[in-house]
Amino acid sequence: MIGSKKALLIVLAVIMAAVFTSTVFAGGEQEEAAVVAEAPVKVMRYATIAEPPSLDQQVITSDQGTTIAQHVFEGLYTFNSKYDPVPMLVESEDISADGKVITLSLRKGVKFHNGKEMTSADVVASMDRWGEYGSRGSVLYNHVVGVTAESDYVVKMVLNDVFAPWKALLAFINGGPVIYPAEIVAAATKEPIAETDYIGTGPYRFVERNPGRHILLAKFDDYAARSEASDGYAGKREAIFDEIYFIPVPDVGTRVNGVKAGDYDYASQISGDLYEMLEDDSSITTLVNEGVIMPMMFFNSNDGIFKGNYKLRQALLACLDMDAALATAVGPESLWSANGAMMPENTSWYTKAGTDLYNIKDAAKAKAIADEAGYNGEKITFMVSSAYKIHNDIGIVFAKLMKDAGFNVDLQVYDWATLISKRGDASQWDIFFTHHGFVPDPILYSYMSDAYPGWWATDEKHEMADAFTTTIDPEKRRKVWTETQELIFEQMPIVKIGDVYNFDVHTPNLKGFGSTQLIWPKFWGCDLK
Amino acid sequence: MIPSLLMVSIVVFLFIHLIPGDPAQIMLGDLATPEQVEQLRVEMGLDQPVAVQYGKWLKNLLSGDMGTSIFFHQPVGSVILSRAETSILLSLMTLFIIVVIGIPVGYLSSTRYGTRTDQVVSGLSMTFASIPTFWLGLNLMTIFAVKLHIFPTSGFPSIVDGGSIANLVYLILPSITLAAPNSALIIRLTRASMLDVLKEDYVRTARAKGLAEHLVNIKHVFRNSLNAVASALGFTFAALVSGTVVTETVFSLPGIGRLVVDSILRRDYPVLQGIILVIALIYMLINLLVDISYVMLDPRIQHGTGSTK
Repeated sequence: MIGSKKALLIVLAVIMAAVFTSTVFAGGEQEEAAVVAEAPVKVMRYATIAEPPSLDQQVITSDQGTTIAQHVFEGLYTFNSKYDPVPMLVESEDISADGKVITLSLRKGVKFHNGKEMTSADVVASMDRWGEYGSRGSVLYNHVVGVTAESDYVVKMVLNDVFAPWKALLAFINGGPVIYPAEIVAAATKEPIAETDYIGTGPYRFVERNPGRHILLAKFDDYAARSEASDGYAGKREAIFDEIYFIPVPDVGTRVNGVKAGDYDYASQISGDLYEMLEDDSSITTLVNEGVIMPMMFFNSNDGIFKGNYKLRQALLACLDMDAALATAVGPESLWSANGAMMPENTSWYTKAGTDLYNIKDAAKAKAIADEAGYNGEKITFMVSSAYKIHNDIGIVFAKLMKDAGFNVDLQVYDWATLISKRGDASQWDIFFTHHGFVPDPILYSYMSDAYPGWWATDEKHEMADAFTTTIDPEKRRKVWTETQELIFEQMPIVKIGDVYNFDVHTPNLKGFGSTQLIWPKFWGCDLK
Repeated sequence: MIPSLLMVSIVVFLFIHLIPGDPAQIMLGDLATPEQVEQLRVEMGLDQPVAVQYGKWLKNLLSGDMGTSIFFHQPVGSVILSRAETSILLSLMTLFIIVVIGIPVGYLSSTRYGTRTDQVVSGLSMTFASIPTFWLGLNLMTIFAVKLHIFPTSGFPSIVDGGSIANLVYLILPSITLAAPNSALIIRLTRASMLDVLKEDYVRTARAKGLAEHLVNIKHVFRNSLNAVASALGFTFAALVSGTVVTETVFSLPGIGRLVVDSILRRDYPVLQGIILVIALIYMLINLLVDISYVMLDPRIQHGTGSTK
């Protein structure tokens, strides 16, 4: 008995000694051991904050998903560096004089990852699935009579009325109409397409997903690149890396340390409080992401104290200090801007129209307007999520400011799943907090949809939205948008807090980026030198 | 064991369906309309009454099918298995460090009771027991991975999936991080148990017989204090396998603990149900092993009767 126990102990000791010995040998060869045992010639390792639920862009709007999926799937259009929609799988377009018939000629010789050539049948099937089940599909398909194949390489889309943002919607890959082979997409519904059917036309093909470890893409040798020079997401897409690993690394300190130690080449979404320190660190390069994040408060227009009471919403806005909230939540001023306008300053849509009450930080004025609005200290239920630091921090600052201005605020902090479940029920809340990402056209803002919680659906809004989408002339559209923004500040379905920017870090020898990073970092055209 | 597992499964099923949140909404994202979410709920069978969903789940479980992960779209069994490798190896390495450090140091501390050595050991073990694991983990990473380049910072490439045994290097810093507070507890426990036994009459008798002090300590004191330590080690192991969320997050390890937390946040019901059942099973098995170890460590304990000779 004692003998067998001793033997067991000896075996255990030998195993553990072997482990520690292997460590010593492996220590000097850390790069070789990293992530994959058999390192191919060119591997890129991206540390991402979380895993996406799926790469099916048509039905999923996760940003992590888009960052990965844009290497695998392509749409008919894409965005250039100015975020103008330009052709990707389309060769040329022809628009009828009344603006209702759009004829798209497809590029020839574009191969899917299964070796089949893309034709109009694939485009029609993909568009139809997106139109019926896609996240943003109904926005366009509410105006579409039909999409048909005119020949192998010509697709015709007929609209029931003029709909100006059609091209931006086709270019917007996040929740957008990426093109799958017809045989895969024809049977697809709302359920995301299975991993085995991740067949696109992009410069990388999907290899595997190892839950909790990585998503692996490999270079697609038969990729048909466009001939134009690379410009944003547009133009030539050249796959230089043989393999790209997208590795979930939830802790921000670990993502930074991993890049410094050479375990990862790129890491995204680093906290603002590390920005100044990392900017001075020569072992790492910082890159501000140009994809704006817009924290927003939504008022409940269907139920409760704010229903129809625009004055009370304005009173609340008057007491808010956006500078204090953004400095607390984000950190260095180079990563945020107290911009109350609905679109960022660097866009052609920017206007200050209607922003008089934004960031005036005036509790006395807030009280006076609240009195006018007939407020008598009724409880205001304000829901924020602890899942996002920025929501939580701004929520806490705002709750304090609102209380100081005499509002009876009940701040309720939930995990994200609970918050999005509760906000669906109008009787449970008065204000909820979320954020919005970049949109290429203001009509794509969530609050422009009547169905989005908050449920802003007034006649005045519908009138503006109709005028906006049926106007093609850019100058006239900008004028209508200016009026729409004035209406937003009058009826106040939302309060936009400001513009916030994330930053990423990468190893200094990773080349191929501009002075800022695109919304969803792309790694074609990049190289480790 | 089976009735206990059944009970656990019912409680878990009820509780996770009681908390607000909808996996369909989480999957489709912020912009999905209520109609789109409802459509997906129907496709996933989430519109069915909870009792019906439970019945289906149990029926499939009995035929060896734990369902499909809502988030990963992969069989729950394979999702859990891919995480179990990390958790089991990490727990074994941690347990090894705990045993190698905790027991000898605890022994030393008790046999030098009241001396400077005992005071230093007690002070250090209290310090290590109080250090937050995220702080220790990040500091170990900064020193040994970023500055000295001895260990990798994070991640753990699979060994069973064709990887090299050298990948265990990824688990060294995490296992030291986990072992620090746990070793401290085992030191304290070993010391306290031995001090208790030292007061027993038979120890005095052994000394009176003229037995050498180290033999008294090893044969009579240490051996008789091991029951409590074995029990603590067993449950430490179970806790390590099932819940080292902070360490797994800091070192980005694909382990069971992170899978539980992520699955709760994603409302991935099938994974959560499967994993909690597996954890319950692990606890029961370890309980059994601890009971068996009692018999091996203390011949007075008889199996089945629960009495001592």
